[in-house]
Amino acid sequence: MTAASASLALPANRSALRRARDWAANPWARPRFLVLVTWVYIVWSIAPVIIAIQFSFNAGRSLTAWQGFSLTRWYFDDPENSVWNDPALQGALIQSLKLAALDMLIATPLGVLLALGLARWRGYAAEAGNLLMLFPLVTPEIVMGVSLSLVFAYLFDFIEPSTTAQVLGHVTFSLSYVVVIVRGRLFSIGRQYEEAAADLGATPWETLWLVLLPLLLPAVLSSMMIVFAISIDDFVISQWLSCGADCDTIPIRIYSATRAAPLPSINALAAIMVYFTIAALVLSYFLFRFLTRGERAAGKAGRSVVQDMGGFDM
Amino acid sequence: MYPRGLWPLFALPGIVWLLLLFLVPFYAVIAVAFGTVDPIFQNPVPVWNPLDWNYDYVLETVIGFLPGNDYWRVFVRTTKYVAASLALCLLIGYPVAYYISRHAGRTKSLLVALLVLPFWVSYLMRMLAWVNLLAPGGYVNDILTWTHLVTTPPDWLNGNPYSVVLGLVYGYIPYLIMPLLASLDRIDKSLLEAARDLGASPFRAFVHVTLPLSKTGILGASVIITLPMFGDYYTPNIVSGSPQTSMLGNQIDIFFHGGPQPAIGAALTMVLSTFLGVLMVYYMYTVAKASREART
Amino acid sequence: MRDDDVHPNRNLNRRRSSRISRRRALKILGSGVAAAVAAPWVLRHALADQLMGPGGIPLARPNAPVTLPRFEDPIKSGLEPEKGGTFTVFNYSDYIDKKVVDEFGKKYKVKTQITTFDSMDIAITRLAKHVKADVTNISLDRLGQAVAGKLLKPVNPDYVPNLKKNVWPQLQSPFYDVESRYTVPYTIYSTGIGWRSDKVKEDIYHLENPWSIFWASQAYKGYVGVLDDSREALGMALLYQKNYDVNTEDPAVIDKALADLKALIPICNPKVNITEYQTLPEGTSYLHEVWSGDMLSAVISYMPKDGDPSTLQYWTPPRGKALVQNDCWAISATTKKPVLAHLFLNYIIDEQVATDNFLNFTGYQPPQISITADGLVAKGVIPKNLESVVLRPEDLGSDSLQLMALTAKGQALWQSAYSKFISGV
Repeated sequence: MTAASASLALPANRSALRRARDWAANPWARPRFLVLVTWVYIVWSIAPVIIAIQFSFNAGRSLTAWQGFSLTRWYFDDPENSVWNDPALQGALIQSLKLAALDMLIATPLGVLLALGLARWRGYAAEAGNLLMLFPLVTPEIVMGVSLSLVFAYLFDFIEPSTTAQVLGHVTFSLSYVVVIVRGRLFSIGRQYEEAAADLGATPWETLWLVLLPLLLPAVLSSMMIVFAISIDDFVISQWLSCGADCDTIPIRIYSATRAAPLPSINALAAIMVYFTIAALVLSYFLFRFLTRGERAAGKAGRSVVQDMGGFDM
Repeated sequence: MYPRGLWPLFALPGIVWLLLLFLVPFYAVIAVAFGTVDPIFQNPVPVWNPLDWNYDYVLETVIGFLPGNDYWRVFVRTTKYVAASLALCLLIGYPVAYYISRHAGRTKSLLVALLVLPFWVSYLMRMLAWVNLLAPGGYVNDILTWTHLVTTPPDWLNGNPYSVVLGLVYGYIPYLIMPLLASLDRIDKSLLEAARDLGASPFRAFVHVTLPLSKTGILGASVIITLPMFGDYYTPNIVSGSPQTSMLGNQIDIFFHGGPQPAIGAALTMVLSTFLGVLMVYYMYTVAKASREART
Repeated sequence: MRDDDVHPNRNLNRRRSSRISRRRALKILGSGVAAAVAAPWVLRHALADQLMGPGGIPLARPNAPVTLPRFEDPIKSGLEPEKGGTFTVFNYSDYIDKKVVDEFGKKYKVKTQITTFDSMDIAITRLAKHVKADVTNISLDRLGQAVAGKLLKPVNPDYVPNLKKNVWPQLQSPFYDVESRYTVPYTIYSTGIGWRSDKVKEDIYHLENPWSIFWASQAYKGYVGVLDDSREALGMALLYQKNYDVNTEDPAVIDKALADLKALIPICNPKVNITEYQTLPEGTSYLHEVWSGDMLSAVISYMPKDGDPSTLQYWTPPRGKALVQNDCWAISATTKKPVLAHLFLNYIIDEQVATDNFLNFTGYQPPQISITADGLVAKGVIPKNLESVVLRPEDLGSDSLQLMALTAKGQALWQSAYSKFISGV
């Protein structure tokens, strides 16, 4: 008798079939099927991106046939087509970064305020505000793109399709993400610290600045990163509010390229975006752990990473 | 503790922003749909006053949605793709989310990070990656022929609806898994242990405890991906490019980007939004009901 | 025949727009003012069945020329060019060599910039909103609309001597702008069939009805394409049936063209795009409806290093059975530099400038007397197998086929038919 079957008090002489069935049905064993599914999913999810990045280092022009390794051909070297030398690709990269930075800077403060307001406010107006805030999350982007381009053409026609219009559109759909993340963090903090501060004699403003905001900082930072990521990734809104070639972002370039005959330089451009976002992700993760180190030490070990990262909470 | 008007004041800028740039644009769509067309420049002329609305274009669009007519067929096709994609996403995503939230143990952080990674990679880049893999000389066909699973490599990128569904699944599944993970994570483990203590097999515990508790999570995650999927037009364009697989979003795109009847494009957008609004209301109702039940 | 991949996406935005560019709305002749202004022209062109465009300007056809009305007088002759400020060229993206524009700026000591648009619709909308533009590119089917909306300034021919010197005689006083009151022609191109002779076995040149190759292309399923343009795609179906009224507004005819186009889907599953200038040389497309300029681009700019230009073939029907088209330059009504604008029009049809712009950048042929097929073959610019890509003056005449403006009803019919094809219903 093995130790396991001894502890389970299984009959000693089981048939092979019965043994196999018991092995599969062991409730304390690791769920092998689920493990398999999960790892297969993760590989299936990430492998194409890795392969696309691999082909950005392709020595030849093909996107399907590996023709040797060239570190920099499509990033720097190629005189006409590399990301460094092709003004169209460069323009797209700069425009994407510009939009993402502006979006981050505008949407985050606005969203934090909105989150605080909606979370703490009571009443029907607050419910309505909450609904209004949730809608952009589920509105198809084409609907937003159509409506924004129409409103800029016929109502607010002092705003032309341009970078300004694109920023306004980006902020509009980013707000909801910031609110949801910050609000999640707000709920998990609870009111205890603010009440403690008030008990100790802090004025409302001091409580806000010295207690609440620092506690919210991890969520604020992670929402900044998320806004950056979704802004860089945005295709539909940027396309509908675009002024032409000058306002093209990376996703727009990728879209045009996939419908024509793309070169590995497009992979290189997209790969650069991935490097950026990975750097941002890693940075924000370490920053987050650094900022919440106190909470972990204080024995909140039971809380999961998912909740900490401002788990998505509708 | 805080002054009374503080929170509404904080919320005000955001609310005003959303009103001006989210709600008002919806009205602009309605005004164009019920509007007229400028005779010289052929631009849509929005009609803001409901009393002056011109019902022609909207009527024409609604008629097009009646069973058997053009928009109806595209709508049915879109619904089929979305339903298939949703089913596949849930089939793949639920086990993954379940595993990570329940069992992952020490590797949990790593798995969450790996899960979040595609969420951060541009949607279009992931589609680009797939297009390259599915291309005639790409790895997928290479593997299929090498393992002799098929004799002639299938044509993935020429109006193949399976490719479109796969593209949609691949693109949207991260957006499903994250909220699902969050909601599964929140299920109190002690409930499950109680069920096991009372003698339920793992399977019964799952079916009778975990699944019902995750219903709102599933619904929420489904809503998060289904509604945007209905308006997707770039996935079929990238993966297929053929008229055979066009979705409702493609119709709007065609009519809007310069057809002679942009009001029809606006009307189509309106119909789509209304349909999705109905779904959204149903979802909110379910959530409200569930939270009411939870509170009692 | 360079293999460098200049501007991979340059033609994309420009031609992508053509699929959406040909729309017209027409209400009953609007205000009495328009009618009063238009009355003389209505009377003069009182051919009983001449169709009316907006503002009472008749719709031009190759066999029904139209003189566009002037709403203001052109500037006086002999004025000095303006100095200072920025001169703005309003154009499709990647449809003019930036170097050419910069040279113009250097010559007349003015700063220059190119503002782009993605489609004619957007261009007209922005011109109507007084976007800053001095000269604008314009297509024939929008010319009447632009003039009716007073978006263009009339031209004083004294500033544009190159028109008589360098441009084809047929385009000196073209049917769409008699006396060249508003435009100078920029590029001319035809629509035809492009294919790779190493993949397509048929001898398309000698087929009785070459367009029929599309309807017999089962062997090339997945590698066939049509242009993503409502008029061009349905137009091809019309020509296939030897129906040469390409500006028809007859619903029965349009429906038949739609049925023919839809029949292509089970036969060869055609791709619908405008990127054949890349996909043909790269080999991801074997047979495509093409514009002649794109075939030239394919050879000059998009041929891979190991590609063989002699495999690219182009066929276009003879005059009266082929679709030809030209784009023009015009002066924006809001310009503050009218003299410079005139000088730009003259500059762009200068022989050397036009040739450089054509060969170094756009690949679309300017209607210059000096540019001939034989000359280009002799210079080694194009291989002999692509001679037919170059148009000749004789290709234009009153019986040539040009896709022109339609009435609103007609436009709606074409657009609806095309959207049915596009959505596979």
